[in-house]
Amino acid sequence: MSGISLRNIRKAYPGGPTVLHDVSMEFQPGEFIVIVGPSGCGKSTLLRLIAGLERADAGEIKIAGKRANDLPPQDRDIAMIFQNYALYPHMSVRENIAFGLELRGMPKAERNRRAEEVARMLQLEPYLERKPGALSGGQRQRVAMGRAMARNTSTFLMDEPLSNLDNALRVAMRTEIKDLHRQLGATIVYVTHDQTEALSLADRVAVMKDGHLLQFDRPDVIYDRPANRFVAGFLGVPPINFLPTEKLPGCAGLAGSDDLTAGLRPDILAVHTAQPAGPSLAARVVMAEMTGSDLLLHCDTAAGRLTALAPRLALGGGTEQVWISYDLDRALFFDNQSGARVDYVPGDRQIR
Amino acid sequence: MKPENPFVALLSLLVGLLFLSPVLYSIWMSFQTADDFYAGRVTFTLDNYERAIGQFNFARYLINSLIVSGLVTVLGITVATLAAFAFARFRFPGGDLMFGATVATLMIPSHISLIPNYLTLAKAGLLDTYAGLILPAISNGFACFFLRQYMRGIPKALDEAAYMDGATHLQVLWRIIVPLSRPAISSMALYIFIAEWNNYIWPLVAVGKQDLYTLQIGLARLYRINPGEGLIDWPLVMAASTITILPVLLGFLAVERHLVRGITMGAVK
Ligand SMILES: Nc1ncnc2c1ncn2[C@@H]1O[C@H](COP(=O)(O)OP(=O)(O)O)[C@@H](O)[C@H]1O
Ligand SMILES: [Mg+2]
Repeated sequence: MSGISLRNIRKAYPGGPTVLHDVSMEFQPGEFIVIVGPSGCGKSTLLRLIAGLERADAGEIKIAGKRANDLPPQDRDIAMIFQNYALYPHMSVRENIAFGLELRGMPKAERNRRAEEVARMLQLEPYLERKPGALSGGQRQRVAMGRAMARNTSTFLMDEPLSNLDNALRVAMRTEIKDLHRQLGATIVYVTHDQTEALSLADRVAVMKDGHLLQFDRPDVIYDRPANRFVAGFLGVPPINFLPTEKLPGCAGLAGSDDLTAGLRPDILAVHTAQPAGPSLAARVVMAEMTGSDLLLHCDTAAGRLTALAPRLALGGGTEQVWISYDLDRALFFDNQSGARVDYVPGDRQIR
Repeated sequence: MKPENPFVALLSLLVGLLFLSPVLYSIWMSFQTADDFYAGRVTFTLDNYERAIGQFNFARYLINSLIVSGLVTVLGITVATLAAFAFARFRFPGGDLMFGATVATLMIPSHISLIPNYLTLAKAGLLDTYAGLILPAISNGFACFFLRQYMRGIPKALDEAAYMDGATHLQVLWRIIVPLSRPAISSMALYIFIAEWNNYIWPLVAVGKQDLYTLQIGLARLYRINPGEGLIDWPLVMAASTITILPVLLGFLAVERHLVRGITMGAVK
């Protein structure tokens, strides 16, 4: 098992702008790391740097404590699952899985046994002699995983491995990957643009934007104490509501409140059919989306557009005019200029 | 496939026969004796083949042609594949310039390099040897260009997956790129083989010893066999021609099934 350390990594593709700015991260051995961020923010590039498929322009990559900047991919003992799987189309599933073992000189009988073992774990046994072209998307994805697993490496890199699958399969594979991590105990660096995957899989989440690392922490910390407005908005479904603090009843006493934006996640909002005691916003429901047991309400209020979640049955028929109250102690506040979160201490109603 | 329009099918058949007719006619002619042929009688004899092979040494020429064309094909494809891989996958100083130069050779008529090549080989003492016949033909700019274009169409992620699996550059080439380029490589192999098989000028220049003649040279000499009578022994020439085209035909049948098949399907979604 090996940890990975990135220090002040900078990368620009030839003739292009800088794609990674001064990124530093430490991955502990056996950790499940998820790198999340919008498309084009440099996630794949970062992964390819760790894999050795790209070279850093500056900074240091250490694998298992040793400098790896100049190490070719073959010598890094890392397995990678590519976004489009990159299965060898001219080889059978068996050969695809065993190829890495063959290159390392493992005798045929032994590598066949290993390929079958891996295929059993991934329920690929019936397809061992098929070519990738004759497999479904989900099966191909599992072959890609099998190819990575066959070699018993300590580190796995996965570049949006589930993004080509349909939703049900994606949820199922998510669980399998988590199980796999538990079984193998390997370090996994997992790239995705899907915030649900990030929060559900990771031991720690790295949020990136435009080549910058914005925050790197446990999923609950990222969710509860996002470093800035972007992180708060990127993670969480339904998304957080941003409202100007000065228009939010109950915040009037906050020092410096005209320079702040309040972030209210739907889970701290409560929807009432009659005006409640305490601070609340009168809201007109513009659209109500059925999500099952809940209704997702898109509302217009004096402070701006708001999305709230309400139990469908509690609301009854009167969903035109509602009142929305909020737990200010759990609200987040962001500086309007820098976007950074500012700590607000409940009780003394002061912004620090 | 749509059912063929019978009119189109008939037309195709007629055009096919039209193309085939000279070949069929010459094969038919090769089984006549010269006297019968000029007298307009129809007979059947293997005499012309016996004379071509026995008296005029065509067995030897056939072997020479097979050696030369075979080696030129194998070596030429090897060189072109290695160069194409380098041009398709690696950026190195002078790479673009070298590729440009390779493409530029396509625009140089082969006759221009005839004399320089002759002088070079003369200096190296390689005239009148197999090496002299083979070496100048193994660098093939067109094959290199063609294979490079084809290889660029193979997703680079496959190389990268192989590197992650522990492959060296040569293993990536041999285990991934070459199998996936098989249609292109087969086409180029056939093209090189036929071009070399039909090569006339260079063997004519580079070889004086009769033992090293290729079929094309031998064939050309046959026209001068019976100058006294004023008549060319056409049935004999046609028998020799049939010996000459047969291996090419067989070679084509051998690689034809590799030529048009696309193999990259299913690599990347
Ligand atoms: N091979 C390349 N050459 C030039 N620019 C590239 C290359 N690969 C990616 N980029 C650019 O680098 C940026 C980051 O890309 P990438 O790491 O793939 O982002 P992500 O995986 O987060 O979507 C993008 O702007 C992309 O256009
Ligand atoms: Mg990507």
